[in-house]
Amino acid sequence: MTMAEKLTLPATTLPPDTDRRRLGFRLTLPAQVLVLLISLFPLLMQLYISLTDWSPLSGLMWPRAWQMWNGLANYADLLSDNRLWAALGRTAFVMAVCVPVEFLLGLALATLFMDEFPGKRVLYSILIMPMMVVPAVAGYMFFMLFQSGGPVNDILSWFTASPVTIAWLSSPTLALTAVMIADIWQWTPLMFLILLAGLMGVPEDQMKAATLLGAGPWQRFRTIVLPRMRTIIVIALAIRSIECFKIFDTLFIMTGGGPGVATETISVYIYKITTQDLIWGYVAAIALAILLVLSVACIWAMKRLAR
Amino acid sequence: MHRSPAFVLFRYGAILFAVAVTLVPVLWMASMAFKPIPEWQATGAALTWWPRNPTWDNFRFVFGTSTSDLIVALDRTALRPIVSSLLSATFGTIIAMTAGTAAAYGLSRFGAGQNLPLALIQLRLFPPMAVMIPVMIMWAFLGFIDTWWGLALVYGIVTLPFAFWLMKTFFDDMSREIEEAALVEGCSRFRVFTRITLPMMRAPLASAALFVFILNWSDYLIALLLTTRDWVTVPVYMASLSSSMTGQLYGAKAALGLIAAVPPVILGILIQKHLVRGLTFGALKQ
Repeated sequence: MTMAEKLTLPATTLPPDTDRRRLGFRLTLPAQVLVLLISLFPLLMQLYISLTDWSPLSGLMWPRAWQMWNGLANYADLLSDNRLWAALGRTAFVMAVCVPVEFLLGLALATLFMDEFPGKRVLYSILIMPMMVVPAVAGYMFFMLFQSGGPVNDILSWFTASPVTIAWLSSPTLALTAVMIADIWQWTPLMFLILLAGLMGVPEDQMKAATLLGAGPWQRFRTIVLPRMRTIIVIALAIRSIECFKIFDTLFIMTGGGPGVATETISVYIYKITTQDLIWGYVAAIALAILLVLSVACIWAMKRLAR
Repeated sequence: MHRSPAFVLFRYGAILFAVAVTLVPVLWMASMAFKPIPEWQATGAALTWWPRNPTWDNFRFVFGTSTSDLIVALDRTALRPIVSSLLSATFGTIIAMTAGTAAAYGLSRFGAGQNLPLALIQLRLFPPMAVMIPVMIMWAFLGFIDTWWGLALVYGIVTLPFAFWLMKTFFDDMSREIEEAALVEGCSRFRVFTRITLPMMRAPLASAALFVFILNWSDYLIALLLTTRDWVTVPVYMASLSSSMTGQLYGAKAALGLIAAVPPVILGILIQKHLVRGLTFGALKQ
Protein backbone atom coordinates (compact mmCIF):
# COMPACT_ATOMS: atom_id res chain seq x y z
CA MET A 1 0.00 0.00 0.00
CA THR A 2 1.46 3.34 -0.97
CA MET A 3 1.57 6.34 1.31
CA ALA A 4 -1.05 8.18 -0.73
CA GLU A 5 -3.53 5.31 -0.48
CA LYS A 6 -2.96 5.03 3.23
CA LEU A 7 -3.77 8.69 3.71
CA THR A 8 -6.94 8.60 1.68
CA LEU A 9 -8.32 5.49 3.35
CA PRO A 10 -9.77 5.86 6.82
CA ALA A 11 -8.14 3.41 9.24
CA THR A 12 -11.32 1.46 9.85
CA THR A 13 -11.58 0.29 6.25
CA LEU A 14 -8.19 -1.42 6.45
CA PRO A 15 -9.00 -5.08 5.86
CA PRO A 16 -8.80 -6.57 9.37
CA ASP A 17 -7.29 -9.75 7.97
CA THR A 18 -4.15 -8.05 6.68
CA ASP A 19 -3.75 -6.29 9.98
CA ARG A 20 -4.13 -9.53 11.89
CA ARG A 21 -1.78 -11.42 9.64
CA ARG A 22 0.89 -8.76 9.90
CA LEU A 23 0.75 -8.63 13.69
CA GLY A 24 0.73 -12.43 13.87
CA PHE A 25 3.79 -12.56 11.65
CA ARG A 26 5.64 -10.00 13.75
CA LEU A 27 4.79 -11.75 16.99
CA THR A 28 6.05 -15.11 15.77
CA LEU A 29 9.16 -13.70 14.08
CA PRO A 30 11.59 -13.83 17.05
CA ALA A 31 10.72 -17.47 17.74
CA GLN A 32 11.12 -18.35 14.05
CA VAL A 33 14.54 -16.67 13.94
CA LEU A 34 15.69 -18.52 17.06
CA VAL A 35 14.50 -21.85 15.66
CA LEU A 36 16.31 -21.20 12.37
CA LEU A 37 19.42 -20.17 14.25
CA ILE A 38 19.65 -23.61 15.81
CA SER A 39 18.10 -25.77 13.10
CA LEU A 40 18.46 -24.85 9.43
CA PHE A 41 21.84 -23.15 9.35
CA PRO A 42 23.55 -25.58 11.75
CA LEU A 43 22.12 -28.54 9.85
CA LEU A 44 23.50 -27.31 6.53
CA MET A 45 26.84 -26.58 8.18
CA GLN A 46 26.85 -30.01 9.73
CA LEU A 47 25.99 -31.67 6.42
CA TYR A 48 28.89 -29.88 4.76
CA ILE A 49 31.40 -30.72 7.47
CA SER A 50 30.25 -34.34 7.59
CA LEU A 51 31.46 -34.78 4.01
CA THR A 52 35.00 -33.76 4.94
CA ASP A 53 37.79 -34.77 7.28
CA TRP A 54 37.74 -31.37 8.92
CA SER A 55 38.85 -30.93 12.51
CA PRO A 56 39.29 -27.75 14.56
CA LEU A 57 42.97 -28.70 14.76
CA SER A 58 43.40 -28.86 10.98
CA GLY A 59 44.39 -25.20 10.76
CA LEU A 60 41.65 -24.36 8.27
CA MET A 61 38.55 -22.28 8.88
CA TRP A 62 35.46 -24.45 8.53
CA PRO A 63 34.23 -22.83 5.27
CA ARG A 64 37.37 -24.15 3.61
CA ALA A 65 36.79 -27.67 4.81
CA TRP A 66 36.21 -28.74 1.17
CA GLN A 67 39.97 -28.98 0.88
CA MET A 68 39.69 -32.08 3.02
CA TRP A 69 36.74 -33.50 1.08
CA ASN A 70 36.23 -37.21 1.57
CA GLY A 71 32.74 -37.75 0.23
CA LEU A 72 30.69 -40.31 2.09
CA ALA A 73 33.65 -41.93 3.83
CA ASN A 74 32.48 -40.75 7.26
CA TYR A 75 29.09 -42.32 6.72
CA ALA A 76 30.71 -45.56 5.60
CA ASP A 77 32.89 -45.47 8.71
CA LEU A 78 30.02 -45.12 11.11
CA LEU A 79 28.42 -48.30 9.80
CA SER A 80 31.43 -50.26 11.00
CA ASP A 81 32.08 -48.24 14.16
CA ASN A 82 31.66 -50.87 16.85
CA ARG A 83 31.98 -48.38 19.68
CA LEU A 84 29.08 -46.37 18.23
CA TRP A 85 26.82 -49.40 17.90
CA ALA A 86 27.75 -50.57 21.39
CA ALA A 87 26.88 -47.11 22.74
CA LEU A 88 23.55 -47.17 20.91
CA GLY A 89 22.81 -50.65 22.21
CA ARG A 90 23.68 -49.58 25.75
CA THR A 91 21.41 -46.54 25.46
CA ALA A 92 18.60 -48.78 24.21
CA PHE A 93 19.19 -51.12 27.14
CA VAL A 94 19.05 -48.28 29.67
CA MET A 95 15.82 -47.05 28.07
CA ALA A 96 14.32 -50.55 27.99
CA VAL A 97 14.95 -50.98 31.72
CA CYS A 98 14.45 -47.49 33.14
CA VAL A 99 11.34 -46.31 31.30
CA PRO A 100 9.13 -49.34 32.16
CA VAL A 101 10.38 -49.45 35.76
CA GLU A 102 9.73 -45.73 36.20
CA PHE A 103 6.31 -46.16 34.62
CA LEU A 104 5.26 -49.06 36.86
CA LEU A 105 6.60 -47.49 40.05
CA GLY A 106 5.01 -44.16 39.14
CA LEU A 107 1.68 -45.81 38.39
CA ALA A 108 1.75 -47.80 41.61
CA LEU A 109 2.46 -44.67 43.65
CA ALA A 110 -0.17 -42.69 41.77
CA THR A 111 -2.89 -45.24 42.57
CA LEU A 112 -2.04 -44.85 46.26
CA PHE A 113 -2.62 -41.10 45.98
CA MET A 114 -6.03 -41.26 44.31
CA ASP A 115 -8.13 -40.32 47.31
CA GLU A 116 -7.68 -37.93 50.20
CA PHE A 117 -5.77 -38.92 53.31
CA PRO A 118 -4.00 -36.98 56.07
CA GLY A 119 -0.56 -35.72 55.04
CA LYS A 120 -1.22 -36.20 51.34
CA ARG A 121 0.00 -32.77 50.25
CA VAL A 122 3.29 -32.89 52.13
CA LEU A 123 4.06 -36.45 51.05
CA TYR A 124 3.24 -35.52 47.46
CA SER A 125 5.62 -32.54 47.56
CA ILE A 126 8.41 -34.70 48.95
CA LEU A 127 7.90 -37.43 46.37
CA ILE A 128 8.13 -35.12 43.36
CA MET A 129 11.28 -33.42 44.66
CA PRO A 130 13.92 -35.57 42.89
CA MET A 131 12.96 -34.36 39.43
CA MET A 132 13.66 -30.79 40.49
CA VAL A 133 17.16 -31.57 41.69
CA VAL A 134 19.77 -30.41 39.17
CA PRO A 135 20.70 -33.64 37.29
CA ALA A 136 24.42 -33.01 37.67
CA VAL A 137 23.92 -32.68 41.44
CA ALA A 138 21.81 -35.84 41.47
CA GLY A 139 24.72 -37.52 39.69
CA TYR A 140 27.06 -36.37 42.43
CA MET A 141 24.66 -37.58 45.15
CA PHE A 142 24.68 -41.07 43.68
CA PHE A 143 28.41 -40.90 43.08
CA MET A 144 28.79 -40.47 46.85
CA LEU A 145 26.16 -43.06 47.72
CA PHE A 146 27.84 -45.76 45.62
CA GLN A 147 31.38 -45.29 46.98
CA SER A 148 32.75 -48.56 48.30
CA GLY A 149 32.73 -47.09 51.82
CA GLY A 150 29.44 -45.32 51.18
CA PRO A 151 25.90 -45.52 52.51
CA VAL A 152 24.58 -48.06 49.97
CA ASN A 153 27.12 -50.65 51.04
CA ASP A 154 26.52 -49.70 54.66
CA ILE A 155 22.80 -50.38 54.33
CA LEU A 156 23.51 -53.65 52.53
CA SER A 157 25.79 -54.73 55.35
CA TRP A 158 22.92 -54.36 57.86
CA PHE A 159 21.28 -57.27 56.06
CA THR A 160 24.32 -59.43 55.43
CA ALA A 161 25.73 -58.93 58.94
CA SER A 162 29.22 -58.63 57.46
CA PRO A 163 30.82 -55.49 55.97
CA VAL A 164 29.96 -55.08 52.29
CA THR A 165 32.62 -53.35 50.17
CA ILE A 166 31.32 -53.54 46.63
CA ALA A 167 33.11 -51.13 44.28
CA TRP A 168 29.94 -50.20 42.39
CA LEU A 169 31.27 -47.59 40.05
CA SER A 170 34.39 -49.45 39.02
CA SER A 171 32.66 -52.68 38.09
CA PRO A 172 31.41 -52.71 34.47
CA THR A 173 28.05 -54.35 35.20
CA LEU A 174 27.37 -52.70 38.56
CA ALA A 175 28.26 -49.24 37.26
CA LEU A 176 25.49 -49.47 34.68
CA THR A 177 23.10 -50.68 37.38
CA ALA A 178 24.05 -47.75 39.63
CA VAL A 179 23.49 -45.29 36.78
CA MET A 180 20.07 -46.77 36.08
CA ILE A 181 19.14 -46.61 39.78
CA ALA A 182 20.00 -42.90 39.77
CA ASP A 183 17.87 -42.36 36.67
CA ILE A 184 14.95 -44.24 38.20
CA TRP A 185 15.29 -42.24 41.43
CA GLN A 186 15.21 -38.96 39.59
CA TRP A 187 12.49 -39.64 37.01
CA THR A 188 9.93 -41.95 38.65
CA PRO A 189 8.45 -38.76 40.17
CA LEU A 190 7.75 -37.43 36.67
CA MET A 191 5.75 -40.55 35.81
CA PHE A 192 4.00 -40.34 39.18
CA LEU A 193 3.06 -36.69 38.61
CA ILE A 194 1.73 -37.18 35.07
CA LEU A 195 -0.08 -40.45 35.78
CA LEU A 196 -1.68 -39.09 38.94
CA ALA A 197 -3.01 -36.11 36.98
CA GLY A 198 -4.43 -38.61 34.51
CA LEU A 199 -5.97 -40.83 37.19
CA MET A 200 -7.68 -37.85 38.80
CA GLY A 201 -9.50 -37.29 35.53
CA VAL A 202 -11.20 -40.69 35.65
CA PRO A 203 -14.83 -40.07 36.64
CA GLU A 204 -15.54 -41.42 40.10
CA ASP A 205 -19.20 -42.30 39.44
CA GLN A 206 -18.16 -44.72 36.70
CA MET A 207 -15.80 -46.41 39.12
CA LYS A 208 -18.53 -46.60 41.77
CA ALA A 209 -21.01 -48.04 39.30
CA ALA A 210 -18.50 -50.65 38.24
CA THR A 211 -17.84 -51.54 41.88
CA LEU A 212 -21.57 -51.96 42.50
CA LEU A 213 -21.78 -54.22 39.48
CA GLY A 214 -19.15 -56.40 41.12
CA ALA A 215 -16.06 -55.46 39.16
CA GLY A 216 -12.79 -56.17 40.99
CA PRO A 217 -9.95 -53.64 41.17
CA TRP A 218 -8.06 -55.16 38.25
CA GLN A 219 -11.19 -55.29 36.11
CA ARG A 220 -12.03 -51.66 36.93
CA PHE A 221 -8.50 -50.67 36.07
CA ARG A 222 -8.52 -52.53 32.74
CA THR A 223 -11.97 -51.52 31.50
CA ILE A 224 -12.40 -47.97 32.85
CA VAL A 225 -9.06 -46.47 33.83
CA LEU A 226 -6.83 -47.82 31.08
CA PRO A 227 -8.92 -46.71 28.07
CA ARG A 228 -9.26 -43.20 29.50
CA MET A 229 -5.57 -42.99 30.30
CA ARG A 230 -4.28 -44.20 26.93
CA THR A 231 -3.19 -40.82 25.57
CA ILE A 232 -1.67 -39.79 28.89
CA ILE A 233 0.28 -43.04 29.15
CA VAL A 234 1.56 -42.61 25.60
CA ILE A 235 2.64 -39.03 26.36
CA ALA A 236 4.37 -40.02 29.60
CA LEU A 237 6.22 -42.91 27.95
CA ALA A 238 7.20 -40.77 24.94
CA ILE A 239 8.57 -37.93 27.09
CA ARG A 240 10.59 -40.25 29.27
CA SER A 241 11.91 -42.28 26.33
CA ILE A 242 13.08 -39.12 24.55
CA GLU A 243 14.79 -37.77 27.64
CA CYS A 244 16.27 -41.15 28.54
CA PHE A 245 17.78 -41.44 25.06
CA LYS A 246 19.69 -38.21 25.74
CA ILE A 247 20.94 -39.37 29.16
CA PHE A 248 24.18 -37.57 30.00
CA ASP A 249 24.46 -35.38 33.11
CA THR A 250 23.92 -37.84 35.95
CA LEU A 251 25.76 -40.60 34.19
CA PHE A 252 28.74 -38.51 33.18
CA ILE A 253 29.23 -37.20 36.71
CA MET A 254 28.89 -40.68 38.22
CA THR A 255 31.12 -42.67 35.89
CA GLY A 256 32.33 -40.45 33.04
CA GLY A 257 31.21 -43.30 30.76
CA GLY A 258 33.55 -45.74 32.44
CA PRO A 259 34.98 -47.98 33.65
CA GLY A 260 36.40 -48.34 30.16
CA VAL A 261 33.35 -47.86 27.99
CA ALA A 262 31.00 -49.79 30.30
CA THR A 263 28.50 -46.93 30.73
CA GLU A 264 29.18 -45.06 27.51
CA THR A 265 25.79 -44.05 26.10
CA ILE A 266 25.33 -42.29 22.78
CA SER A 267 25.55 -38.75 24.23
CA VAL A 268 28.69 -39.63 26.18
CA TYR A 269 30.28 -41.20 23.11
CA ILE A 270 29.60 -38.13 20.96
CA TYR A 271 30.84 -35.88 23.76
CA LYS A 272 34.09 -37.82 24.00
CA ILE A 273 34.88 -37.87 20.30
CA THR A 274 33.95 -34.18 20.11
CA THR A 275 36.16 -33.01 22.94
CA GLN A 276 38.95 -35.61 23.05
CA ASP A 277 39.41 -37.00 19.53
CA LEU A 278 38.28 -33.75 17.85
CA ILE A 279 37.32 -35.55 14.63
CA TRP A 280 34.47 -33.13 13.95
CA GLY A 281 33.81 -34.26 10.38
CA TYR A 282 33.03 -37.72 11.68
CA VAL A 283 31.06 -36.39 14.67
CA ALA A 284 28.93 -34.33 12.29
CA ALA A 285 28.15 -37.47 10.29
CA ILE A 286 27.07 -39.37 13.41
CA ALA A 287 25.02 -36.43 14.68
CA LEU A 288 23.23 -36.02 11.35
CA ALA A 289 22.50 -39.73 11.08
CA ILE A 290 20.95 -39.66 14.56
CA LEU A 291 18.92 -36.53 13.80
CA LEU A 292 17.64 -38.13 10.60
CA VAL A 293 16.56 -41.35 12.30
CA LEU A 294 14.92 -39.42 15.17
CA SER A 295 13.05 -37.11 12.79
CA VAL A 296 11.67 -40.01 10.78
CA ALA A 297 10.67 -41.75 14.01
CA CYS A 298 9.06 -38.53 15.29
CA ILE A 299 7.02 -37.93 12.13
CA TRP A 300 5.94 -41.58 12.05
CA ALA A 301 4.90 -41.39 15.72
CA MET A 302 3.00 -38.12 15.19
CA LYS A 303 1.09 -39.63 12.26
CA ARG A 304 0.19 -42.67 14.33
CA LEU A 305 -0.87 -40.53 17.27
CA ALA A 306 -3.02 -38.34 15.06
CA ARG A 307 -4.92 -41.40 13.83
CA MET B 1 -14.41 -43.67 49.77
CA HIS B 2 -14.18 -46.04 52.70
CA ARG B 3 -10.95 -47.96 52.98
CA SER B 4 -10.16 -50.99 55.09
CA PRO B 5 -7.61 -50.47 57.90
CA ALA B 6 -5.31 -52.99 56.22
CA PHE B 7 -5.26 -50.89 53.08
CA VAL B 8 -4.61 -47.68 55.01
CA LEU B 9 -1.71 -49.35 56.79
CA PHE B 10 -0.33 -50.73 53.55
CA ARG B 11 -0.64 -47.35 51.88
CA TYR B 12 1.24 -45.47 54.58
CA GLY B 13 3.87 -48.19 54.66
CA ALA B 14 4.44 -48.05 50.91
CA ILE B 15 4.42 -44.26 50.74
CA LEU B 16 6.76 -43.87 53.70
CA PHE B 17 9.17 -46.34 52.10
CA ALA B 18 9.09 -44.28 48.88
CA VAL B 19 9.65 -41.10 50.90
CA ALA B 20 12.65 -42.67 52.61
CA VAL B 21 14.17 -43.73 49.28
CA THR B 22 13.52 -40.24 47.95
CA LEU B 23 15.14 -38.48 50.88
CA VAL B 24 18.23 -40.61 51.58
CA PRO B 25 20.35 -39.28 48.66
CA VAL B 26 19.37 -35.68 49.44
CA LEU B 27 19.97 -35.99 53.16
CA TRP B 28 23.28 -37.76 52.61
CA MET B 29 24.50 -34.83 50.54
CA ALA B 30 23.17 -32.31 53.06
CA SER B 31 24.88 -34.18 55.88
CA MET B 32 28.12 -34.38 53.88
CA ALA B 33 28.06 -30.63 53.31
CA PHE B 34 28.34 -30.04 57.06
CA LYS B 35 30.95 -32.69 57.83
CA PRO B 36 34.54 -31.80 58.68
CA ILE B 37 37.22 -33.56 56.62
CA PRO B 38 37.88 -36.53 58.95
CA GLU B 39 34.22 -37.56 58.66
CA TRP B 40 34.06 -37.39 54.83
CA GLN B 41 34.98 -41.02 54.35
CA ALA B 42 34.35 -44.14 56.37
CA THR B 43 37.11 -44.80 58.82
CA GLY B 44 37.30 -48.52 59.43
CA ALA B 45 33.80 -49.91 59.35
CA ALA B 46 32.04 -46.93 60.88
CA LEU B 47 30.19 -44.63 58.52
CA THR B 48 29.30 -41.13 59.68
CA TRP B 49 25.60 -40.84 58.87
CA TRP B 50 25.16 -37.57 60.66
CA PRO B 51 27.96 -35.02 61.20
CA ARG B 52 29.42 -35.53 64.67
CA ASN B 53 31.05 -32.09 64.60
CA PRO B 54 28.91 -30.06 62.19
CA THR B 55 30.78 -27.20 60.57
CA TRP B 56 30.42 -24.46 57.95
CA ASP B 57 33.98 -25.11 56.76
CA ASN B 58 32.92 -26.62 53.43
CA PHE B 59 30.91 -23.54 52.54
CA ARG B 60 33.73 -21.25 53.68
CA PHE B 61 36.14 -23.30 51.60
CA VAL B 62 34.22 -22.98 48.32
CA PHE B 63 33.94 -19.25 48.89
CA GLY B 64 37.68 -18.94 49.27
CA THR B 65 38.47 -18.96 52.95
CA SER B 66 40.11 -22.24 53.83
CA THR B 67 40.07 -22.97 57.52
CA SER B 68 41.84 -26.29 57.35
CA ASP B 69 45.48 -27.15 56.92
CA LEU B 70 44.54 -30.35 55.10
CA ILE B 71 43.45 -28.70 51.87
CA VAL B 72 44.89 -25.71 50.09
CA ALA B 73 42.70 -22.76 49.16
CA LEU B 74 41.09 -22.76 45.72
CA ASP B 75 42.44 -20.52 43.00
CA ARG B 76 38.86 -19.79 41.92
CA THR B 77 35.94 -19.49 44.31
CA ALA B 78 32.32 -20.47 43.77
CA LEU B 79 31.20 -16.86 43.63
CA ARG B 80 31.84 -16.31 39.94
CA PRO B 81 30.18 -19.59 38.84
CA ILE B 82 27.12 -18.65 40.88
CA VAL B 83 26.97 -15.27 39.16
CA SER B 84 27.45 -17.01 35.81
CA SER B 85 24.64 -19.50 36.50
CA LEU B 86 22.32 -16.72 37.61
CA LEU B 87 23.06 -14.46 34.64
CA SER B 88 22.86 -17.13 31.95
CA ALA B 89 19.75 -18.79 33.40
CA THR B 90 17.97 -15.45 33.95
CA PHE B 91 18.71 -14.03 30.52
CA GLY B 92 18.03 -17.39 28.88
CA THR B 93 14.64 -17.29 30.56
CA ILE B 94 14.00 -13.75 29.35
CA ILE B 95 14.86 -14.72 25.76
CA ALA B 96 12.71 -17.87 25.82
CA MET B 97 9.77 -16.17 27.52
CA THR B 98 9.78 -13.09 25.26
CA ALA B 99 9.99 -15.03 22.01
CA GLY B 100 7.79 -17.85 23.30
CA THR B 101 5.01 -15.64 24.68
CA ALA B 102 4.84 -13.46 21.57
CA ALA B 103 4.79 -16.49 19.27
CA ALA B 104 2.23 -18.30 21.40
CA TYR B 105 -0.07 -15.27 21.24
CA GLY B 106 0.47 -14.94 17.51
CA LEU B 107 -0.52 -18.56 16.97
CA SER B 108 -3.32 -18.64 19.51
CA ARG B 109 -5.10 -15.47 18.27
CA PHE B 110 -3.99 -14.91 14.68
CA GLY B 111 -3.07 -18.41 13.51
CA ALA B 112 0.44 -17.28 12.61
CA GLY B 113 3.44 -19.63 12.66
CA GLN B 114 1.60 -22.91 12.13
CA ASN B 115 4.96 -24.67 11.74
CA LEU B 116 6.14 -23.73 15.23
CA PRO B 117 4.43 -26.38 17.39
CA LEU B 118 5.97 -29.30 15.54
CA ALA B 119 9.31 -27.54 14.91
CA LEU B 120 9.66 -26.83 18.62
CA ILE B 121 8.77 -30.39 19.63
CA GLN B 122 11.42 -31.63 17.23
CA LEU B 123 13.90 -29.20 18.75
CA ARG B 124 13.19 -30.80 22.11
CA LEU B 125 13.52 -34.28 20.67
CA PHE B 126 17.08 -33.85 19.45
CA PRO B 127 19.90 -34.63 21.86
CA PRO B 128 21.74 -31.33 22.42
CA MET B 129 24.95 -33.23 21.80
CA ALA B 130 23.92 -33.77 18.17
CA VAL B 131 23.67 -30.08 17.28
CA MET B 132 26.52 -28.73 19.38
CA ILE B 133 29.28 -28.83 16.75
CA PRO B 134 27.77 -26.14 14.52
CA VAL B 135 26.81 -24.14 17.60
CA MET B 136 30.38 -24.33 18.92
CA ILE B 137 31.74 -23.20 15.54
CA MET B 138 29.26 -20.32 15.25
CA TRP B 139 29.76 -19.25 18.85
CA ALA B 140 33.54 -19.30 18.42
CA PHE B 141 33.11 -17.14 15.32
CA LEU B 142 30.91 -14.67 17.22
CA GLY B 143 33.23 -14.63 20.23
CA PHE B 144 30.51 -16.16 22.41
CA ILE B 145 32.55 -19.07 23.81
CA ASP B 146 33.03 -18.82 27.57
CA THR B 147 30.64 -15.88 28.01
CA TRP B 148 27.42 -15.82 29.99
CA TRP B 149 25.56 -14.17 27.12
CA GLY B 150 26.57 -16.90 24.66
CA LEU B 151 25.27 -19.45 27.13
CA ALA B 152 22.08 -17.44 27.72
CA LEU B 153 21.31 -17.41 23.99
CA VAL B 154 21.59 -21.21 23.73
CA TYR B 155 19.47 -21.61 26.87
CA GLY B 156 16.87 -19.27 25.39
CA ILE B 157 16.58 -21.48 22.32
CA VAL B 158 16.71 -24.80 24.14
CA THR B 159 13.90 -23.85 26.53
CA LEU B 160 11.84 -21.98 23.93
CA PRO B 161 9.64 -25.06 23.30
CA PHE B 162 8.53 -25.08 26.95
CA ALA B 163 7.88 -21.33 27.08
CA PHE B 164 5.94 -21.47 23.83
CA TRP B 165 3.81 -24.50 24.64
CA LEU B 166 3.04 -23.40 28.18
CA MET B 167 1.98 -19.92 27.12
CA LYS B 168 0.03 -21.27 24.16
CA THR B 169 -2.14 -23.43 26.40
CA PHE B 170 -2.61 -20.52 28.81
CA PHE B 171 -3.71 -18.23 25.97
CA ASP B 172 -5.97 -20.92 24.52
CA ASP B 173 -7.67 -21.34 27.90
CA MET B 174 -8.13 -17.63 28.47
CA SER B 175 -11.53 -16.09 28.00
CA ARG B 176 -11.47 -13.62 25.11
CA GLU B 177 -14.41 -11.46 26.11
CA ILE B 178 -12.35 -8.68 27.66
CA GLU B 179 -9.99 -8.62 24.68
CA GLU B 180 -12.91 -8.37 22.31
CA ALA B 181 -14.52 -5.61 24.34
CA ALA B 182 -11.30 -3.60 24.18
CA LEU B 183 -11.12 -4.12 20.41
CA VAL B 184 -14.65 -2.79 20.03
CA GLU B 185 -13.63 0.22 22.13
CA GLY B 186 -11.04 0.98 19.44
CA CYS B 187 -7.88 -0.39 21.02
CA SER B 188 -5.35 -1.67 18.48
CA ARG B 189 -4.66 -5.40 18.60
CA PHE B 190 -1.11 -4.86 19.75
CA ARG B 191 -2.25 -2.58 22.55
CA VAL B 192 -4.80 -5.18 23.60
CA PHE B 193 -1.95 -7.70 23.86
CA THR B 194 0.41 -5.49 25.85
CA ARG B 195 -2.09 -3.56 27.97
CA ILE B 196 -4.82 -6.10 28.63
CA THR B 197 -3.76 -9.67 27.89
CA LEU B 198 -0.29 -9.63 29.41
CA PRO B 199 -1.31 -7.97 32.71
CA MET B 200 -4.19 -10.44 33.01
CA MET B 201 -1.78 -13.31 32.46
CA ARG B 202 0.69 -12.20 35.12
CA ALA B 203 0.36 -15.36 37.23
CA PRO B 204 0.69 -17.86 34.35
CA LEU B 205 3.59 -15.83 32.94
CA ALA B 206 5.35 -15.97 36.29
CA SER B 207 4.95 -19.72 36.65
CA ALA B 208 6.05 -20.37 33.07
CA ALA B 209 9.11 -18.18 33.63
CA LEU B 210 10.00 -20.01 36.85
CA PHE B 211 9.59 -23.33 35.06
CA VAL B 212 11.93 -22.23 32.26
CA PHE B 213 14.39 -20.81 34.80
CA ILE B 214 14.59 -24.17 36.58
CA LEU B 215 15.40 -25.88 33.29
CA ASN B 216 18.11 -23.36 32.45
CA TRP B 217 19.61 -23.48 35.92
CA SER B 218 19.73 -27.29 35.72
CA ASP B 219 21.84 -27.49 32.59
CA TYR B 220 25.24 -29.16 32.70
CA LEU B 221 26.11 -30.42 29.21
CA ILE B 222 25.76 -27.14 27.31
CA ALA B 223 27.79 -25.19 29.84
CA LEU B 224 30.38 -27.95 29.81
CA LEU B 225 30.84 -27.48 26.07
CA LEU B 226 30.50 -23.71 25.78
CA THR B 227 32.36 -22.43 28.82
CA THR B 228 35.97 -23.08 29.66
CA ARG B 229 37.10 -20.95 32.54
CA ASP B 230 35.75 -17.46 33.17
CA TRP B 231 32.04 -18.18 33.02
CA VAL B 232 31.69 -21.84 34.01
CA THR B 233 28.38 -22.47 35.75
CA VAL B 234 27.87 -24.02 39.18
CA PRO B 235 27.43 -27.66 38.02
CA VAL B 236 30.51 -27.48 35.79
CA TYR B 237 32.51 -25.85 38.57
CA MET B 238 31.32 -28.44 41.06
CA ALA B 239 32.31 -31.33 38.80
CA SER B 240 35.71 -29.81 38.11
CA LEU B 241 36.62 -29.49 41.79
CA SER B 242 37.82 -33.07 42.12
CA SER B 243 40.05 -33.18 39.10
CA SER B 244 41.96 -30.04 39.96
CA MET B 245 42.92 -31.31 43.41
CA THR B 246 44.33 -34.49 44.73
CA GLY B 247 41.53 -36.71 45.88
CA GLN B 248 37.81 -36.09 46.15
CA LEU B 249 36.64 -32.97 47.93
CA TYR B 250 33.46 -34.67 49.13
CA GLY B 251 32.32 -32.05 51.60
CA ALA B 252 33.10 -29.04 49.41
CA LYS B 253 31.32 -30.56 46.42
CA ALA B 254 28.35 -31.46 48.58
CA ALA B 255 28.16 -27.87 49.83
CA LEU B 256 28.15 -26.65 46.24
CA GLY B 257 25.60 -29.28 45.24
CA LEU B 258 23.35 -28.06 48.03
CA ILE B 259 23.71 -24.46 46.85
CA ALA B 260 22.83 -25.55 43.29
CA ALA B 261 19.95 -27.81 44.29
CA VAL B 262 18.05 -25.58 46.70
CA PRO B 263 16.71 -22.82 44.36
CA PRO B 264 15.02 -25.11 41.80
CA VAL B 265 13.45 -27.26 44.51
CA ILE B 266 11.92 -24.22 46.21
CA LEU B 267 10.77 -22.72 42.89
CA GLY B 268 9.44 -26.10 41.80
CA ILE B 269 7.29 -26.39 44.91
CA LEU B 270 6.00 -22.87 44.24
CA ILE B 271 4.78 -23.78 40.76
CA GLN B 272 3.68 -27.34 41.60
CA LYS B 273 0.26 -26.63 40.12
CA HIS B 274 1.66 -26.05 36.65
CA LEU B 275 4.36 -28.73 36.59
CA VAL B 276 2.24 -31.29 34.74
CA ARG B 277 1.22 -28.78 32.10
CA GLY B 278 4.81 -27.68 31.59
CA LEU B 279 6.32 -31.12 31.44
CA THR B 280 3.78 -32.48 28.96
CA PHE B 281 3.95 -29.44 26.66
CA GLY B 282 0.48 -28.42 27.76
CA ALA B 283 -1.04 -31.72 26.64
CA LEU B 284 -2.24 -32.34 30.16
CA LYS B 285 -3.55 -29.99 32.80
CA GLN B 286 -3.81 -30.59 36.48
